[in-house]
Amino acid sequence: MDCADVRLNLRDHRQGRLGAAGEDELRAHLSACPHCAHVAAAEEELTEALERRLPQYPASFALKRRLAAQWPGASSPRAWWRSWRPAPIAALALAALVLVTVPVVYYERRDAGAARSMVAEAVNDHLRVLSSQRPLEIESGGLHQVKPWFEGRLDFAPVVTFEGDADFPLKGGAVGYFFDRKAAVFVYTRRLHPISLIVFRADGLSWPAVESGVSAKDERGFAVMIWRRGALGYALVSDIDGRELASLAAKFLAPAR
Amino acid sequence: MSAMANEALAYVDALHNLARHLTGNQEDAEDLVQETYARAFRAERQFTPGTNLKAWLFRILRNTFVSSYRRRRRDPTVGGLDPLDAESAGALDQAWLRNDVELDRLRKVVAEEIEAALMTLSEDARTVILLDLEGLNELEVSEVLGCPVGTVKSRLSRARAALRLKLRDYAR
Repeated sequence: MDCADVRLNLRDHRQGRLGAAGEDELRAHLSACPHCAHVAAAEEELTEALERRLPQYPASFALKRRLAAQWPGASSPRAWWRSWRPAPIAALALAALVLVTVPVVYYERRDAGAARSMVAEAVNDHLRVLSSQRPLEIESGGLHQVKPWFEGRLDFAPVVTFEGDADFPLKGGAVGYFFDRKAAVFVYTRRLHPISLIVFRADGLSWPAVESGVSAKDERGFAVMIWRRGALGYALVSDIDGRELASLAAKFLAPAR
Repeated sequence: MSAMANEALAYVDALHNLARHLTGNQEDAEDLVQETYARAFRAERQFTPGTNLKAWLFRILRNTFVSSYRRRRRDPTVGGLDPLDAESAGALDQAWLRNDVELDRLRKVVAEEIEAALMTLSEDARTVILLDLEGLNELEVSEVLGCPVGTVKSRLSRARAALRLKLRDYAR
């Protein structure tokens, strides 16, 4: 073992990762080579300094709470629309959604991959916006104030007609990302629950087969609805009940008056 | 919450510590850790149960940093300097370790000086030093960095030699 070999193996030596033969050889070299002995001593001091004095930065409690809330609670969550029993009002809301806007809520195995990745991305974008230092880049004074704010910040004009109401007030907006493209994020609320409407260019994405259909799914405890209107895609995400989210989706999908 | 989630979240302090030393500030570190877990969520099914979850998460964090954060970063100096090659480090060691006074100085460097010296190293050098401190063995570090085990050994040796030399400047 020459000096270069000894330098290379000093860390293993300190951590007891050298075999017995290697240890013997290294110790013999250190006792015969003052220079390598100095290097070994300096390595000891460096380890001491790093282990005892280098500042440590544990995650904040706020970050831990956010992460714990985001991890999927179950390995294979069941879709909420498969399990819920609609109350009469919610059933009417959903019927109106179907009758007025035509799109069909569907979920087919052959489209599962495309829908799943879009749903996952929508939830991640929702979380990214909410967890950023300033979730709202523009506070709402109404849709007429939020929509123009996006001009010059996006390469498309988001088409959103629902201005918010007492049940779902519009709080503001921010620029987000959906996969590889910029997106307009409109933040509404339902009681204390934030709801993100993410609007993005629809081209180049793998969409479920039915044009203008609505994909609805739950993901990590969030209800998600995704649909396409012309050149734009829309994703609606929140941790509110799926039926409430469907009633909000109906407002976006209703023809402009 | 699943067992995997519990285990993954148990590593958040270690991940954040590396993220903080890579990005140099709290806000970017939190964003990096957040994005790391978001990617881990998406790729959960790609993880093989029973394999090393900690190394898997560190790999995602480093790849996220390299692919996203480093590209966006405005300050070109944050990347730091490359560690010295072994030959140069060896030559400088001779001057640095000429007597015990120098070792004494190394013993007296304070936390801020150690951190400042560490931050002058390249991101790769910082990463390998911190992963080693974190207790990852060479095989695990090689999984994180995507390089052979032998390369980890030489990178670690060079990075630590470079750090010792940087500390010489502070320990006066």
